[in-house]
Amino acid sequence: MKHSLFRPAEMAVLLAVALVIVPLLFYLPFWLPALVELMLLLRACLLLRHSRLPGLAVLLPLLVLAAAGVWLNLNTLIGREGGAALLILLLGFKVFESRQQRDWQVVLALGFFLSAIPLLFDQSPWSALWLVISLLALTWAMLRLAGDIPSGSARTAVQALLLSLPLMLVLFVVMPRLPGPLWSMPHDSHTAQTGLSDSMEPGSISQLVQREDAAFSVVFAGQAPAVSQMYWRIMILDDFDGRRWQNVHGLQQETVQLQGGQLVRYRLTGKPVRSRLPLLEYPLQAPGGGVLEPGRLLRLASDSDDAVRIDAASLLGSHYRQSLSQSDQDFYRRLPPGNPASRQLAMQWRMQSQDDAGFVHEALLHFRLNGYRYTLTPPLLEGDNSTDAFLFSTRQGFCEHYASAFAFLARAAGIPARVVTGYQGAQYNPVGRFWQVRSSDAHAWVEVWLKESGEWLRVDPTAAVAPQRVSDGVSQSIPSLQPAVPLMGSRIPGWLLPLQQSWQAAGFAWQQWVVGYDAARQLNLYRLLGLGEAVDAAAVLRALLFGGALGLLPLLWWWRRRPAMAPLQVGRNLLVAALQCHGIAILPSDGPLDMMNKAAHLPKDVRVLLKQLLKEYAAMRYRHAELPARQVQAWLGQVRRFAQQARKQRRHS
Amino acid sequence: MLPFRKRLRSWWWRRLPREAVCRLSQRRIYLLPTRFGLLLLAVAAAVWVGALNYAVSLAYGLAFWIISLLLLAVLMAYRQLAGLQLQVEAGENTFLGQVANCRLSLINQAGVERQIHLWAEEGECAVHCQLPAGGQQSVSIPLLLNRRGPHAYPVLQIWSTAPFGLIRAFSWWRPDATVLAYPHPLPDRIRHADGLQTGKGRSRGEGEEDFSHLAEYQAGDTPRQIAWSMLARRDVLASKRFVSQPRGHAVHELAWQDYPAALDVETRLSRLCWRLLQCEKAGQRYRVRLPDTVIEPQAGQRERALAALANCSLPS
Repeated sequence: MKHSLFRPAEMAVLLAVALVIVPLLFYLPFWLPALVELMLLLRACLLLRHSRLPGLAVLLPLLVLAAAGVWLNLNTLIGREGGAALLILLLGFKVFESRQQRDWQVVLALGFFLSAIPLLFDQSPWSALWLVISLLALTWAMLRLAGDIPSGSARTAVQALLLSLPLMLVLFVVMPRLPGPLWSMPHDSHTAQTGLSDSMEPGSISQLVQREDAAFSVVFAGQAPAVSQMYWRIMILDDFDGRRWQNVHGLQQETVQLQGGQLVRYRLTGKPVRSRLPLLEYPLQAPGGGVLEPGRLLRLASDSDDAVRIDAASLLGSHYRQSLSQSDQDFYRRLPPGNPASRQLAMQWRMQSQDDAGFVHEALLHFRLNGYRYTLTPPLLEGDNSTDAFLFSTRQGFCEHYASAFAFLARAAGIPARVVTGYQGAQYNPVGRFWQVRSSDAHAWVEVWLKESGEWLRVDPTAAVAPQRVSDGVSQSIPSLQPAVPLMGSRIPGWLLPLQQSWQAAGFAWQQWVVGYDAARQLNLYRLLGLGEAVDAAAVLRALLFGGALGLLPLLWWWRRRPAMAPLQVGRNLLVAALQCHGIAILPSDGPLDMMNKAAHLPKDVRVLLKQLLKEYAAMRYRHAELPARQVQAWLGQVRRFAQQARKQRRHS
Repeated sequence: MLPFRKRLRSWWWRRLPREAVCRLSQRRIYLLPTRFGLLLLAVAAAVWVGALNYAVSLAYGLAFWIISLLLLAVLMAYRQLAGLQLQVEAGENTFLGQVANCRLSLINQAGVERQIHLWAEEGECAVHCQLPAGGQQSVSIPLLLNRRGPHAYPVLQIWSTAPFGLIRAFSWWRPDATVLAYPHPLPDRIRHADGLQTGKGRSRGEGEEDFSHLAEYQAGDTPRQIAWSMLARRDVLASKRFVSQPRGHAVHELAWQDYPAALDVETRLSRLCWRLLQCEKAGQRYRVRLPDTVIEPQAGQRERALAALANCSLPS
């Protein structure tokens, strides 16, 4: 083929794949995608200079070296990160041994595959946008590489993607989804995870609270409960080592009775952290795909950290009745030595109060009245007696300090107690009609077991210190956490609020309908559209036929569309029509001379004009050089007048 | 495998009707993915499996978009050929052993540009042409003439992979036209002089081609005689007459019987052909006598005589 003409097409391929791997700069060790981008750039330089390519003897050792680098950095060559790293390395080396069109086609195909890799890491609208840009670049490069349309290939690429978009949407909606994976891949343990951890120490939650990212979203069936009632439980911490509360799974099983309360049904969408998702206090039963662990905590069967959607039901405000054996009670009273002042205070309240509930009341009163402050930046607590230091000297803390201190006091007084972590509150989004819970809603509180009634009672000491934390959310109680506009550093002005809510709603819809479009949602849609009661072969076929017909409509439009006729052709048609008015039939094969001959019997003035027009037509039609558009338009105007005249004449005669 | 494929193909070609004009329609356009198309299909399948396994919704979107693009490529490739009109034009007859041009024209009546490739197995010939919207283009397919007589135009594959190179649309056409292979001229000096029937005309010279006057066109006047400038200017068909139009003068007899019966047919025809060409070159009048026909001096005699030589077959 014409080799020199081919060069820009190869540049297009290089440009397209370079665009495709840009997002991987964020997800892989930075040096690797950067190295591959550099290699692509180098290849482009070689292309421009028509230089010789390095041989296999140079490339293979380099590839092995780079793969070894990946191994040292990631400790794996499979899985999400390892596989992606290996693939882009292969791409980087493949371009150095691409010479023929066929090689470049392989590079392009690899590019199409690579554009799926960033989606494994992130499925936000931005990823989708980048996917579209990648596809556009790849399609454009494909057109260039096919080589037939050197000009206008960008337009053709856009047109092709737009025409195939409806078909893609139909397939996306209709093609069956699997409820679970085909095979499970090893998890990347070093991937950083956010969210509440298995343990709690001073500072662990206040770190989380400063993040504004969304934790999960909830849609209630029916009336939503009051915000102050929304305690989302994730984890129970039942062991204290003097500084840190952690979960040692002290109880393997339990028999629980939930009494009273108001039934609330809701659908929750969120990314599980270590297979855990929060549930509203207290869950009635385990939602599908998970089990309830002791303490009524949800653990999902799958250990994937992709977003899931669960339908759950909780009895709000119910009594959590459980009979604890003596040894169980002892387990919930265990304390390490230390903090003598706190123990003394607990014993003092124990003496003053009649029962456990009285003790709780006494303790909450203490927190309320003794100048405790709710702050994100408490002084550091050092030494073995951290609880003493908090209760008697610093008196400043965040929810984890209060929960920890309260649980300590309760245990010191002989009351079984445990710390619960989770989220408290939610923010309603009126645009998307859902409730959003953010990382900043992370919270910790205490549950104490009352011997008299044999039930676990939730006690939120933070609420005693800062009541508005529970009623209005954390941002109202700590001014520095009020939502601010980035860069401007001030509060979000009122007029921006709807915009922010719309953005949240769009994110919610994206999560619900695009990222979270799974087998269950598909089944719902099939039922809604009346395509069938199950996603089986017949229903899919029906949906494909129905959707395919819809998706083909734009294609039909494209097929039937007549491109704008050249002005010369328009003019010729006008002349033919005009001569028809004069009673002269012109065949499509007739040239200007034939037309003139056939019009020989016309009156002289008409003939002269016709002859002049035809002469100009012939001059323009058979001249190869590009014509100035103005000249053609002027001629077309004359032809129009001529045709008008002919029509008029026919009407008169 | 290969011989089988070849046999299958030749069987298929024999089944094709001969057509002087053919308009490509869905009944004769075939569509197959190219190697690149298959590769991309495999990529779409791989992305789909990945999407299934990792439950990545957007990857489903990517897989389905690639598949939709492939479907669209099928339509676009089909559109490259659909409605294309091909017709035969008179081929250029030539001598045995030479390459003849089989002339065709491609007519694109649609309002879109087309990228068309033509391919003929005979001669491994490939032609690419870019047809603008509403355009027409003449193409010649070279054909090696390896025996005397009529040669059918080769069966043509018309194909296009535009615009993506993913799908190949193709169609077969067996043009209903032939080119003639004239005998290969063999020098034959001695005989050439003998055949001259002396007339009483003046000896020939440069002056004989001198222009005399214009006369009305008569059937049989050669294209060389037509006054083209007149036609262009006045739109009148006129013929030029020369001072000494070779009429009624010496006529060379080029006869089959000039050669001994022992000489084989092809050699005889080759020598006759050479003498004929000599006469044409010198502008001499001649008569060709073949066992079955006689070609008298006339307009277009060269072509007729050569055709007679080419088609000459003797009951032996």
